[in-house]
Parts: sequence; structure tokens; C-alpha cells
Amino acid sequence: MTESLDAIPDTFVSVDRAEGAVSFVVDESVYPLDAIYGATFTFLDRCFVFLGRGEPGQVVITLSAKKPPVEDDELRGWIGELANELLACAWRGRILEQNRATIEAVTMQAIGGAMGPPSLDELEDFDFSEEPFDDPLGIAMSWEEKYGKKEKKGESADDSGEENA
Amino acid sequence: MRELRFAKDLYEGTQVDAAVKVFERFGKLSTAEEADAWIVTVDAPSDARVRRLAGELANYALGLTIRGRQAEESTE
Repeated sequence: MTESLDAIPDTFVSVDRAEGAVSFVVDESVYPLDAIYGATFTFLDRCFVFLGRGEPGQVVITLSAKKPPVEDDELRGWIGELANELLACAWRGRILEQNRATIEAVTMQAIGGAMGPPSLDELEDFDFSEEPFDDPLGIAMSWEEKYGKKEKKGESADDSGEENA
Repeated sequence: MRELRFAKDLYEGTQVDAAVKVFERFGKLSTAEEADAWIVTVDAPSDARVRRLAGELANYALGLTIRGRQAEESTE
């Protein structure tokens, strides 16, 4: 016999106290199937979980106690945790979908780096004559060129004089 | 006796079969197929045993289905 649970809207939730079970109707357009699987997976260790079809586009998640009877507070806790987990899984899935291209690019770079140094054939095909990059402003200077010891003005002239003597 | 209806768009048929194979030694399980669901009928000497067997079977089938989907996604 299905009943309602205090403080939980009975539009989506029904309780079978004799069975120690609570059912939650989930709209698939709000929570994708992957989120439903992810959320219910976290309950497998403490409840019997069963998925069924209700109205078109709806999934009915039934959580039953492994050892009935159970208090209403526990049933209410399951519903709250399930709702939170559904939202978290749906949101994680959305973020993953948005960042899929970035994740794939980073993974490909990591795999490319892990493949090791290029082979001799690849090196043979490489064009070493090409300039590494354009530097029209001349800012690409080595450390020695920029901060190295500079020759004193008179030094080179004295040296040349000694040599002549 | 209890009847479990595994909706075809929610559970993988092969995984339901695998779950039935694992749990058939704990009770009497019979399977049937309808247009939208696989039906597993669970029977055992006591109501408590039927309840537990049906619950564990459902959990196992769901776990296998989720694992199967994750494996499919990772190979895509």
C-alpha cells in the first residue's frame, strides 16, 4: 500500500511502509539516464534498488530496505540523499560534456609525450633549416648577450699596442 | 512468488541473464520476455527469502548494467 511521507511532496515520492520501500519518480528530461545510473549505484550497498518505467519519459526508482522495517526518518534520508546525488551526477555529466574537447586535447598531448623521442625517419623528414620563429623586435636574446661582461673601451686598444711592441 | 519487470531500455538483457545465472542456485527463477521488458519470476520457500533473492538479483542486474555502460562509453 502506497502512502506519503511527511515533509516530502507526494507528487514524486510514495512510500510502502510494509515493504520498507520508497519510490521516487524522476523526469528523464531533467535528470539524464546516466545521472540516474550514477545516483542509484551509490545505494546498492545499503538498499535493494529497482528501476522501472512510469509515465513516458519518467523513471521510477524504488529503494527497499535490506532488513525491514525501517523508520520514516531513514526513508526520508534516502530520498534526500538520492535527490542530492541525482543533481550532482547530472551536473557532473554536464561539466564533463562541456569540457570534453579540452580533456581530449590534454590527454592526446600526454599520450603523445609518453610515446618517447621521434624515430630517425621522423628526424630525417624534419626541416632544420627553418627559423624557429620570427623576432622582428630583437627581443629573443641569450642571457650572455644581454647580461654578459662587456669589453672595456680602452682594453682592446692596449692589447693591440702590446702586441705591436 | 514475485515478478520483476526489467524494462528493456533501462537494463541490458545479457546482464539480467548473467544475474539470473548467478542467483538461480538460491531459489526458483524463471524468465520470460515481453515487448518492453524481461520478466524474471522469483520463488523460494519463504516470503523473506523471496524478497531478499529478488532484491539481490535486481541489485546485481543493475550493477552489471551500469558497469557495462561505463565500459562501452570508455571504448567509444
